[in-house]
Amino acid sequence: MSECIVITSGKGGVGKTTTSANLGVALATSGHRVVVVDADIGLRNLDVILGLENRIVYDLVHVVEGECRLKQAVIKDKRCDNLFLLPAAQTRDKNAVSPEQMRDLVEQLKEEFDYVLVDCPAGIEQGFKNSIAGADKAIVVTTPEVSAIRDADRIIGLVEAAELPEPRLVINRFRQKMVDRGEMMDKDDVLEILAIPLVGIVPDHEDVIKTSNMGMPAAYDQESVVGEAYRRIARRLQGEPDVPYIALEEQGFWGNIKKWMGFSNRRAI
Amino acid sequence: MRELINRFFGPKGVSSKDAAKSRLKFLLVHDHVDLTPAQLEAMKAEILEVIARYVEVDVTGVDVHLQRDEGSVALVSNIPVRRVNNRAGATA
Repeated sequence: MSECIVITSGKGGVGKTTTSANLGVALATSGHRVVVVDADIGLRNLDVILGLENRIVYDLVHVVEGECRLKQAVIKDKRCDNLFLLPAAQTRDKNAVSPEQMRDLVEQLKEEFDYVLVDCPAGIEQGFKNSIAGADKAIVVTTPEVSAIRDADRIIGLVEAAELPEPRLVINRFRQKMVDRGEMMDKDDVLEILAIPLVGIVPDHEDVIKTSNMGMPAAYDQESVVGEAYRRIARRLQGEPDVPYIALEEQGFWGNIKKWMGFSNRRAI
Repeated sequence: MRELINRFFGPKGVSSKDAAKSRLKFLLVHDHVDLTPAQLEAMKAEILEVIARYVEVDVTGVDVHLQRDEGSVALVSNIPVRRVNNRAGATA
């Protein structure tokens, strides 16, 4: 059975597009047919994160306006035969598409794909309304910061008001070292405030910048801790029970002591 | 153990994490009831005005705030009473 998952956050710059791309890769490489839809009309970026910017001929708005067929606009990924992108239009705005049109589009995509991932734009206006229109489930991405969590709380309320099931949370840019120093909210602090189920924690790591420079999401890299975090989220989304949270490098004074003493310097969070 | 270490070597005073958490809780309570701090102050003044008709209130000790607990918001108030105002003929 196919499902459409919207990746949203309220606040911009918390990692919606990175999350959409990496979950797309992780689900596709585990054998599902996946399409990632860039719903950020006017500010498209998912193509760049996936390294597919040179292959775009038609986009989502062309499909909606009947200028091309859906199959013509959907681009196959370079590395994975199961992964596809439906790019956003760059020269139009959010009002070029209506929620009804998005719903129809998602329905068509669900006939072809196991997972339809919609990368929602920041904000709570038209772009958000379009993005959730066809969704069966929602993932809310936040970072452990006051402004991002406040916006996530607002988005959770709007997702629930739209009668979607309770969204699941991704905490991005997590820094264990800062948490250990009491300078960053821990996952339990965030969950206490937002009160929705957690689906994953992604460490703040330079891999994210490096992979976006290359246009190759970290989920392709078996060595990457960020990639591993996303692969585990994908497993949870597929319903695999009890996937352990990733072990983050324990750093700082206490971690070094343990390292010298020969204890493991990794632990579950 | 970690907490003990942090107590000795950690930063002095409230950690920035705790500050973030308490600011967030305050923000979200106000976001949820859609009431600005100014409106809350106005409501507090009106409540006190009504109460003062019946009892004498220790204004310096008044605490009225919104509190969020497991998804629901409560208006929590602590209003110390100095003495019952007999003239109004009410009981506290």
